[in-house]
Amino acid sequence: MVLRLRLARVSTPGGARRHAPLYNIVLAHARTARDSLPLEVLGTYNPIPKLPAGYSESDVKEGKARKAKDIKVDVARAKYWLGVGAQPSDTVWRLLSMIGLLEPKYLPTGPQTEKALKAVRFPTHLPNSQASTSREGAVMEAIKEAAAAKQA
Amino acid sequence: MPPRISPSRLSHPETCQCFRTRPCEALVNRQFHASARHETLLRRDMWKWLKGPGKAFRKPLPSSTNYLGAYDKQGQLARMKMRNDGDGGERTSREAEPMEDEDAAARRDMEDEGLSEDDRTLRAEQRAMARATRDADVEEMDDREGIPKERLTDLRPYPLNQAFRSQSVLSEDLREMIYMQAVENGHDLASVAATFGVDIRRVAAVVRLKTVEKEWEAEGKPLAKPYSTAMLNMLPTTPFRPNTKNPVTPHEPINDLPVHPHTRAQIFHPTSESRSFTRADAAKIFDRKLLPADDRIPLPMLVDLERWKLQGLDRAARGKLQVEKDTAARELAENKERKRIAWEQKTQRTVPGRRWDFKFQDVSAEQVGKDGRALPGRDAVGMRYGFPHVDRKRGVVKIPTSVE
Repeated sequence: MVLRLRLARVSTPGGARRHAPLYNIVLAHARTARDSLPLEVLGTYNPIPKLPAGYSESDVKEGKARKAKDIKVDVARAKYWLGVGAQPSDTVWRLLSMIGLLEPKYLPTGPQTEKALKAVRFPTHLPNSQASTSREGAVMEAIKEAAAAKQA
Repeated sequence: MPPRISPSRLSHPETCQCFRTRPCEALVNRQFHASARHETLLRRDMWKWLKGPGKAFRKPLPSSTNYLGAYDKQGQLARMKMRNDGDGGERTSREAEPMEDEDAAARRDMEDEGLSEDDRTLRAEQRAMARATRDADVEEMDDREGIPKERLTDLRPYPLNQAFRSQSVLSEDLREMIYMQAVENGHDLASVAATFGVDIRRVAAVVRLKTVEKEWEAEGKPLAKPYSTAMLNMLPTTPFRPNTKNPVTPHEPINDLPVHPHTRAQIFHPTSESRSFTRADAAKIFDRKLLPADDRIPLPMLVDLERWKLQGLDRAARGKLQVEKDTAARELAENKERKRIAWEQKTQRTVPGRRWDFKFQDVSAEQVGKDGRALPGRDAVGMRYGFPHVDRKRGVVKIPTSVE
């Protein structure tokens, strides 16, 4: 059976709640139910962007702070399972491609060529000194490059 | 109209006690006039007190507390009376022998051939210090308009509660100095606490509140300054007097061992006589995780200092030891910080997106505790399956332990 890396919705620590989703990143057989017992739990994904401690919404509007989505993942295990052929779901693919475990499936804009996709492969799994120091991130850089190419 | 108050009542000594609690035997002796109603009597007493002993409270004393306990029954300031009765005060004695001026003293030093140049500068510094101290004293005395400083017995706001003494609060100068030393000069809180004789928790509170104050000042928010000055004028304060002989007045005992809840139990623990039973052993008996008293003391460096003094080490040797200890502590802290940063670099990544960031943290999925049910989100990653939640069980901490 196909092994999949996918999200499984779990109840929050305080009990199950509506409008407060929380996901485990799991390894499971493809044909089992979404929330059933997985083969392995690899991490969590909180899709609700959280304010950093000590800041308010107005700070975000003024650009003093940025909200962040929390993702915890066991990188070594994820790498192993990808290596033995586990298939990530689209969402998990998107997340894992951010830390450079996979090439992104598509770019937000611009030509979706293989070369372009490889070019934006995020170097974030490298130590910080080697990673790109730009604040904007690879996606934004790719967008800008595409725009520049169009103009030229 | 006949006088409404009998002479016997007038001769009754006035007290500064609250008029409700005054003994009122005098009422029984009234010869004429049908007895007034209770409320009328009370009101009359109130006015009498307000015009008599209570008059002192209409205008607060400058730079001093103004408690009932500091006045005698006639409404006179007890410490003023004592000074007038005694043979002159502290001030008169000090004024009697005025300090010789700097020029004369310097000339005398120059003429004295037994003194070297270093001695002369040292003596000049000492004279300057003494002069500054005297000036500060005189200024303080003038602030109080000649009223002597409160004695301990004058600091009792409630005459019926003799055991209650009003405690000093930190003066504005001292708070500013603490903030400066802790934040601008970057000294650690323990050293600042030891220097100023202020509890380490209070130092931390001062730093926090001062930070807020400075922020508000920068934002242009109005501060309740009139309120704070009024309160500080009414309360006894711990001063900070720079450039005097004793710039720092100890505020409170700083090295008291806080009573840990685990040590409140009375335990009878039999041990063999041959065994050496130390405080570390005692701590272990109170609780497995409780640190010994020597490690729980708020400012262990003060204990070290005292120990070195008892060992008979001289000032230079003590200073050297202190520097060694400080360096070791700093290195330890720096090492810890470096390790934390290295760990963050290794495990954490922030990927910026268009509207929000994605914060990734590398975790170990295998850390699930000995029984596989470590608390998810804190000690283990992910929600576990196949276990009933224990978050409603008795004795399990349900409140969050961190702010996110």
